[in-house]
Amino acid sequence: MGVVVKKVELSWLDRTYVWPVMVGMGITIQHFLKQLFTPTAKRFTIQYPDMKKEMPEGYRGLHELKRFEDGAIKCVACFMCQEACPARCISIEAEEFSDLNITQGFEEKRPAKFSIDMLRCIYCGMCEEACPKDAIWLRKDYEVAAYDRLSMQFGKWDLMNTYTEVDGKESISQDPTPSVPRRTIAL
Amino acid sequence: MDKLASLLHTSPAIAWMVAKLIIVFGGVFSLAALWTWVERRGSAMIQDRIGPNRAALFGKIKILGLVQPLADGIKFFFKEDLVPHDANKALFWLAPFLALVPALMGFAVIPFGRSFVSGGQEYHLALLDPGNGMGLLYPLAIGGMAVYGVLVAAWSSNNKWSILGGMRASAAMVSYEIGMSLAVVTIFMTTGGYDPSEVISAQGHLPWAWNIVRQPLGFIVFFTCMFAETNRLPFDFAEGESEIVAGFNTEYGSMKFSLLALSEYCHLMTASALMATLYFGGWQVPFVKDPTVMLSVASFLVKMLFFAWVFVWIRWTLPRFRYDQLMRLGWKAMLPLSMVNLIFHAWRMSQGH
Repeated sequence: MGVVVKKVELSWLDRTYVWPVMVGMGITIQHFLKQLFTPTAKRFTIQYPDMKKEMPEGYRGLHELKRFEDGAIKCVACFMCQEACPARCISIEAEEFSDLNITQGFEEKRPAKFSIDMLRCIYCGMCEEACPKDAIWLRKDYEVAAYDRLSMQFGKWDLMNTYTEVDGKESISQDPTPSVPRRTIAL
Repeated sequence: MDKLASLLHTSPAIAWMVAKLIIVFGGVFSLAALWTWVERRGSAMIQDRIGPNRAALFGKIKILGLVQPLADGIKFFFKEDLVPHDANKALFWLAPFLALVPALMGFAVIPFGRSFVSGGQEYHLALLDPGNGMGLLYPLAIGGMAVYGVLVAAWSSNNKWSILGGMRASAAMVSYEIGMSLAVVTIFMTTGGYDPSEVISAQGHLPWAWNIVRQPLGFIVFFTCMFAETNRLPFDFAEGESEIVAGFNTEYGSMKFSLLALSEYCHLMTASALMATLYFGGWQVPFVKDPTVMLSVASFLVKMLFFAWVFVWIRWTLPRFRYDQLMRLGWKAMLPLSMVNLIFHAWRMSQGH
């Protein structure tokens, strides 16, 4: 047995049609006036280039490679994110560096190249979860666009400087310590 | 006016006529263009949106997007002007003008302000002076002509959706014309004349003596029929974009489409001017016995624009009628109602009211 649809009994007032129309017009004019006297900032529409949406907590946007206070990269080139990435957009090349200092603990490995193909990235946040050093964050910038494919290949320095303007940090393009040639261990 | 006339080597009468022509047709035309913006912004506000607000003069002066009609117009001018291969070319070109001209012409007889005397000569603020013998029969007759615009546009496109739209729109216009005419006839009867200035002066300056109070039933009928006449939603059977693509203007593009769209708004302006004249005392200012000329023009404009807004308002409140519902409403509700209205007022007049 199908659904029994209840028939709506119209009162004589509704049958005149004029009264329901006037009620409807009342509703629309209410919306009109409400929208008219709402300041632009409080309307539902976000007028995009002028106004931007504040993204919610936990939003996964453009990545940032975190750094220590002296500008050294936090990443230790463990390749966990590269392994975790379902879209396989991360590619890392590791290098060694000699000068151990306090902020970097005792790590002596860091990425020489760290690139994310933003065209492939699906912003799933797996790299962030996989990272043992909290070195990669997915933050709130959602305006990832470019005029050509090449500029969507974000390198190490691009990723380290993605949020410098927002955080008021310096933009860097050099590691504080130089790398050393790979040590050969005589067995 | 005399100085201007002598400068232009014409008689004052002709100079005044030309001035009126420019004011009336230019005014109605630009109001119609403005109303496309009002329609878009208004509908947006009604639906909690914002609407076109970004068009700007020289990329800077935005004024609420008020230059949007201008931008639209420029865009329409530069669009490719296609004529379908199998269209009837002559009629296809003619149709936008057939739609636009009657829509504008209806305004000619409506007084948009009180007459005034200057330099021993009486000036009437209507294109056709009162006592021209046509009176309000003229806009009714011209309104009947408006069917041709829709029908010719539809027929010449040689497109089945267009023809469907044009046919049902013209059927609706023809059937609603009767109810409308009977409602207007009642006004002629109670006024004792069909000249618009007579109709206005018979209503006087007191709002409770206006025809809206005397004949509310007639107003409802006339108002409803005006929607069918102007092909506006809820009765926009000419277009009906959810059913028959875009109806009678499916094949139209570029400036021809723009003219068809503008003619709808010109028609809307004429219809609201008619409503203000017939039922709301025309240029009469409420409670002011002898208004100045400017005040009377302002009063008329306010009334007219209010009704033009009501057209927009209703469009975004009501959904489109079904075709059989429209016909039932026209023949079984509007026609009897206007007859009842007519007979009731005839009876009242016979009782000596």
